Order: sequence, then structure tokens, then C-alpha cells
Amino acid sequence: MDTNTAALKKNAFRVTKERNVTCIRIRVPGGHLEAKYLPVLQEIAEKYGNGTLHITNRQGFEIPGISFEKMPEVNAALQSIIEGLEINQEEEGAGYPAAGTRNIIGCIGNRVCPYGNYDTTALAKRIEKAVFPNDLHFKIAVTGCHNDCAKVRMHDFGIMGMTLPRFDADRCVSCGACVKKCQKKSTGALTLSNFRPVRDPKKCIGCGECVLACPNHAWSRSEEKYFRLTLLGRSGKKNPRMGENFVKWIDEDSIVKIILNTYDYVKEYIDPDAPGGKEHIGYIVDRTGVEEFLKWALKDVTLPEIAEVTKPLYWKGVEY
Amino acid sequence: MGFHVNAQQFDQWLAGLKEDYDVYAPVCIRGGSIYSDADCIRYGKIDRIEDVVFDKKSEYSFKEAMIPVSETLFYFTEEDCTVPPARKKGAVIFLRSCDLSAVQRLDDMYLGNGPEDFYYERIRSRIRFVLMGCSKSFDSCFCVSMGTNTASRYDLCVNVRTDGFAVDCPNREWAEFFMHCGCEEQPVTPDRVTENRTKVTLPENLSTEVYRASLWDEYNKRCINCGRCNFVCPTCTCFTMQDLFYTENGKVGERRRVWASCMVDGFTDVAGGGSYRKKNGERMRFKVMHKVFDYKERNGYHMCVGCGRCDDICPEYISFSRILNRLEDGMKEVSGS
Amino acid sequence: MTQNRYLPFPSRILDVIKHTDIEYTFRMEFSGEVKPGQFFEVSIPKYGEAPISVSGIGENYVDLTIRRVGKVTNEVFEHYTGDTLLMRGPYGNGFDLDNYRGKELVIIAGGTGVSPVRGVISWFGDHPEERKGMTIITGFKSEKDILFKEDFRRWRNQMNVILTLDAGEETEDHKIGLVTKFIPDLELADVSLAQAIVVGPPAMMRFSVQGLLARGFKEENIWVSHERKMCCGLGKCGHCKIGDTYVCLDGPVFNYTKGKTLID
Repeated sequence: MDTNTAALKKNAFRVTKERNVTCIRIRVPGGHLEAKYLPVLQEIAEKYGNGTLHITNRQGFEIPGISFEKMPEVNAALQSIIEGLEINQEEEGAGYPAAGTRNIIGCIGNRVCPYGNYDTTALAKRIEKAVFPNDLHFKIAVTGCHNDCAKVRMHDFGIMGMTLPRFDADRCVSCGACVKKCQKKSTGALTLSNFRPVRDPKKCIGCGECVLACPNHAWSRSEEKYFRLTLLGRSGKKNPRMGENFVKWIDEDSIVKIILNTYDYVKEYIDPDAPGGKEHIGYIVDRTGVEEFLKWALKDVTLPEIAEVTKPLYWKGVEY
Repeated sequence: MGFHVNAQQFDQWLAGLKEDYDVYAPVCIRGGSIYSDADCIRYGKIDRIEDVVFDKKSEYSFKEAMIPVSETLFYFTEEDCTVPPARKKGAVIFLRSCDLSAVQRLDDMYLGNGPEDFYYERIRSRIRFVLMGCSKSFDSCFCVSMGTNTASRYDLCVNVRTDGFAVDCPNREWAEFFMHCGCEEQPVTPDRVTENRTKVTLPENLSTEVYRASLWDEYNKRCINCGRCNFVCPTCTCFTMQDLFYTENGKVGERRRVWASCMVDGFTDVAGGGSYRKKNGERMRFKVMHKVFDYKERNGYHMCVGCGRCDDICPEYISFSRILNRLEDGMKEVSGS
Repeated sequence: MTQNRYLPFPSRILDVIKHTDIEYTFRMEFSGEVKPGQFFEVSIPKYGEAPISVSGIGENYVDLTIRRVGKVTNEVFEHYTGDTLLMRGPYGNGFDLDNYRGKELVIIAGGTGVSPVRGVISWFGDHPEERKGMTIITGFKSEKDILFKEDFRRWRNQMNVILTLDAGEETEDHKIGLVTKFIPDLELADVSLAQAIVVGPPAMMRFSVQGLLARGFKEENIWVSHERKMCCGLGKCGHCKIGDTYVCLDGPVFNYTKGKTLID
């Protein structure tokens, strides 16, 4: 059977162990979807696949056991889900237009979690809209707070939600709850002085524990939402490493801009001989030097005044 | 006197108050919750009647509009104490029947129970109350059980109607305004709740014997002694004195008093490191008995007004009204019957 | 207009008497009605207010015995004669001497608990005609913790004094053991009429009262003084409340028939 495997992969199918049998990968940005799409997946799995469904590490689904010839039918059957999840598409009924840039992972965020500092699903969708479809190998994850349940530090771009805590001294009852919580659960940015908490902005990670702990609304959330952007974490065989702090107190617009800028940078510098056209961004940065990367990434980006950019950027990771 | 008042007329009345009063009512504070992207109903200053939230219960009581959380009592030097001036304006406070009943508790604590409190008195004497009629009970309310659903010492009462407001105005000066701006006169009585979903029955024979009951033990672990129940309570009055020193020698500074909670660590600390009621269950018992026993022994009526805010706020989902309803079994347990 | 009772008045330090390394008596200028067992709220620079019980009363002065415990009272020790401190009070009911007139009297006090009863001891010491037999049992941790040494010298001539230390060697001046050890052997003409005052740490008070009851004392003839966090002194702040009782208003001195109902 003649099949263009590159085209197949670009269409979000895979080459599997079994000859002429493939597997479709469903994108679910932010890992959240209306339950009404589950019967669609069930139908595809039972009609075209082997009746099973794999929940992927990246919060999507894979439906295995599909024969190559059924790919067009599967693509047609996927249309409602692609539209419903507002995935950018080039041709109606033709399935996913790319697979290189992976599904955007998100923890459950502030729709449910008390610690969530923003709507992770909404941000995941916004980024998805901005970056997809794209063949370049980008991994992006968003998480509601510094607990980092979404393990965003294992991604090229990791986004952690922050709130800038505001203190109203007139409402403080000197109970010390914020200080205790900050010391025990977070970075110990708060100390008690003259019966009231004093915040060390250097240590504060904007986790919001003080706001949650305060029994009298002396601490409250900033209207603005802020984030920490971590860079170039990766798994893999060569040199896995955690994403490093890049910008603290960054805003949503700047995050999206930096990610899009990085696509331009990668297009310019990716190894033309990279196997499958796939190269982790970090290796490219290792080659060009961080300064060149930053020049591209921060082009036309206006960071909020309070944003702090980590310099110098340095990664180590595991060497085999 | 009763009137039918539309929103425009109401706003005119509010505008007329501005010179002498700040007007406080439950308002929606956008993003004001401790949680992200969530609102909070709390007391705030209002200019227009549409700012007032009538269909939800405020998370904190009117107390936050009346008694400063942190109040400077005086500034001191080595020889002198200077009392800060009183607030420039009086206050008009919108509140419900349970809260209006709580005002009596605050009065009896601050103006009675020992000598009159200077700072409370100078605020209290310049406050007028607007009763918000209750057309329905919220889930956690138990005002009917506590007999606080019929408070009537208000300057004005406002009931929400589809075409405006039904206002009862015993305050003559204010009533004249409504007469002159052409509000139609009509008999108005406050909207009252006559039944709550939550009902509380206190045992007739309640006594300090109930200290020995086992029910308190459960709260040693469940309660996290955060004090939210105290801070939202319209009748909690405890405070702690704090001295703030401006100079290295500690001889110049200010003394303030700050809301305190009998649930929070440090409340009973004495010199030398001793403290009482170390267990959270003991603190819970102390608070419960204060609200439905001790206070009554001194004042003849219960302190708790059944607003249910402590139930609504508790992060550990401890229900105060359920504890009250457990007291009967507690008494049975200790009296062995 | 309501009187502002939160305002303190400046009071001059007339004298400082050092008892131990950590316990001093400050003689403060004060003229006004005051009873032993009452307390003042004393402003302590760099710390704040602390309730201090009256340990002595004279014309134009009160004695305040302050123990250097924690950060609270350390700062007072930097104040010496001629300086001023801000004070409020006196607060509380204090001891009513009439309750003990013409009666046999036993006073049991532990540590700084001697302070509030020092005025009672001294008065009945100086006025033996006003009472029948009198015994004081006072306990301290060790020799260096003994307060009011001068007073004890005088008291020994005026009444039966049992001074006991928690540990160490027994001497002519002091015995060894807890105060409760000496209760069973109290010699009394008529225990049913004898009056007792107990002041000290909670456990010491509890066991002493038990001892007195076992010795035959009537509940209504026993008096206790409670230490709590008296913060405002005005029945407002709530810190000293036990049950329906505000220690600052209704106490700190209680007849045991009431005192026994105070459960934290």
C-alpha cells in the first residue's frame, strides 16, 4: 500500500507497529471539553478503531486500531469535535492540518481549583488559536499556580498563574495566618513586623496563598493577572532538563507574542537535517546562543512594568 | 409613614444624605473573592440604590461598615496622649433584620458591660439604619429561631418591589423628603421572613455542664482556628490592643485596637507563656456558649442573631447552627438521661 | 460626653526595688482609691500594655511588682527612678479586707502570686487586733526566686510564716516541698470559720483549694484570684472572659463558690 507517511503524520495520524494500521490524535486544548463529544470519540473508536481509547500524556485522546484506508472517514467523523473545540482548520472535513505543535496542556485552573490564579483552559485555547496549525515541534503548557500540577517546567513554554497580592492594612487583624501559610506552603516571602505582614517582593511568587489564608480580606487579588514564563524544559534522550525561569510577572499578550516570535526564530535556525524536521528548541538555542534567541523572542514585546527578566539564562539538565 | 419610591427618587434621597453621611450597603465587589475571577458581596459606600445587592447575603456583616477593624485610640508621647478626631461624617447603614438585632448586642457590649466605650459611642451616635426587608430566607439563616426576624428600630425600611421600592420611614425629617418629591403615600411594613429552612432548637436546661459533652472533640481536628466565623459575625466584639512605636526608645507611637477572634491562637496568652483553651474544640465551645448561653446570663437574651454567616464562611464546612442543634444531645449525655 | 477610659496617665517611678534577677518592684506615683488584688494596665515602652497587679499601697504610691517574663515586661526594667510610665486603672474588684476581719486567716501564694496578696498580708500583719490566727504558706521555685525578702523578715514576727521552695536543702528560713504539703498540718482553732486566700499558677491553685477543702475549709470561706489576659480592663475586649464572667470586671478575686464555676 502506498502511503505518504509525512502527510499522514501531519494529519495527526501515526505510523504504528502494525502495518497499515494507524492511530488518530485528538487535540483538547487545556484538557477540558464538553462531555457531549465523548460519544463522538466512542463512535469513532468502535466503528473505525479497535474499540479502545487512550488518554494521552498531553491531555488529548488517541484512538488506535484504525486502518489506513479509513483515515478520510475518520477525518470526516472528527469534524464536529474539531469545530466544537474551535481548532483552526484549513479544509473542512480533512481533519487536523498539523501535528508538530502539540496540544496545549492545562491544569483545571480557576474554573474549579481554589488555588488557580486564572482560567487555564481559556488561555490554553487562546494560545492554541495563535500557534496552530504549525509543523514545528513546540510544547506548551499552562498551569494555574506555582504548584505546577501541569508540570509546565517540562515544556518549551511553561506558564504559571500569579496574582499580585494587595494588602489593605486597615483590614488586617494581625492573626498571622498569611505569614504562617507563606512560610509553610510557599517561599516565606511574608514576615510579621509591627503586628502586620511585610512582603518581600523578591521572594514572592504571587501564588495567592496569603489571599486564601486571610480571614478578613486584608489581602486581595490584583485586577491584573500575571504569570511566570519558564523556558525550554524538555524530556528526551539527549539532554533532558527543567524549564528555567524566564519572566516573572509577565502578562498574557507578551506570552503569546514571545511564543510566536520563537516560531520565527526556529524557522530561521532549525537544523535543516533534523530527523523528521523535529528539533527541540533548546538544542537550537544551545547552538545559536541565548542572546540571539532573546533578540528574536523579545522583539516588539512590551513587558509590564513590574516584569522581571532572569539574566543570565542558563540550563543544565541531565547529561548521559 | 409609608411611600412608594422609584429608583430615581431614591437616588435623590441618597444624594441629599451625602453632606452629613456616608451611606454603606452590601455591594458586589467584582473580583473581590479570595478566589480568582469571583465576586464577593461586602459592605461598601454607595451612591445609588442600584448599587445595593438585595438578593444575596453579604459575606461580612454591617459591622465592617460600623466598627473599624483597626482603630487608633490615641497617639502618645512621653507625657501626652492625643485622641484622633472622630469621623467627619455620620453613616447610614443598610442592613437586614438579623443585623439590626445585632446592633442591640453591640450596644449592650460597648455601652454596657462595664463603662461606656468612648470610641464606640462617638461612632454609634451618628449612625442611622436602613432596614432591608427580607422577602425570602437564605439557606443558612435561622433568624426565626433566634427571634431576630422582626427588628423594628430603624430610621427607614426598604422593600424591593418590581416597580420600585416600598419604603417605611419613621424618621420624620427623611419622610418629609419623600413627601415633597411626590412619592405616593401607602402603608408599608417591612418584608419579614417567617420561616427558615434552618431551624435551631436550644435545650431549655442548657448549662455549663455541656462542657463535658463529647460533641466538642470533633472540632479539635475539624476546626482550623482561622477566626473567619468571628470576623463575619455581626455580634462579635472582641479586640486586641496594639502599641506601635515610632521611635527607637518606644516612647512615641500610637495605640490601636484591632478586631480579635477567640478562635485564633494568642487570644488567651498571659505573660510568661501560659494560655487557656489550647484545643480548637474548647475554643468552639467557648464561642458557642458565649453566643447562646453566657451572654444571656448577663443580658437576658441570646447574643447569636441567626444570620448564618459563620456557616457560610467556614472553609471547613462547620455549621454553627448544627452545633446549636447538638447541644440538646450534649445535655442529655452529661445528665445521663 | 462619654469619658475616654482608654487614655492612660503618666506616673513617675519613685523607687525601684530589685528582688531577684528577674523580679522588681516599681513604686509608682498614684493617689486614688486602690485595693490589694486590683491591677493597673501599664504601658511598657517598645512593648505595649500589660496588666500588673498591685503589690503594695501607700500614701501617694502603689507598688507594682513586675516579673521579667518574655518580651512583655523586659522593657520596664530599663526605667528607673524619675522616669514616667503610662498607666490606666486601677481595675478589678481586689480583696475586700472586711471578709477576713476578726477571722482566722490562711494565705497560700505561689511565685508572683504573692504580689496581689502582699497588701493583705501586710495589713493584717500590722493590725493583729483585726484578725485571729494567721498563717501564710508561700512557695517559690528556688532561693533566688524569693520575692519580698524584707517583708518576710517582718512577717515572721507577726504571723506563722511557711516559706517553701520546690527543691533544694531545707534551712531555718525555708522548707522544701510544694505549698500543698503544708495544708493538712495547719493548726486552726475553728476550721469552719477560717478564711483562706489562694493565689498562684492554675495548677497550684487547684491543688491548694483541694487541700483546703480536705482540711475542712468551707467553700464560701476560700478566695481565689485569677490571672487572665486582661487587655482593656473595661469589660470590652473579651480576652479575660471565662464563661459568663469577665475577670477584669467581676474579678480577679472570686469567692471559691464562684471561682469553681470558672472553667476555661
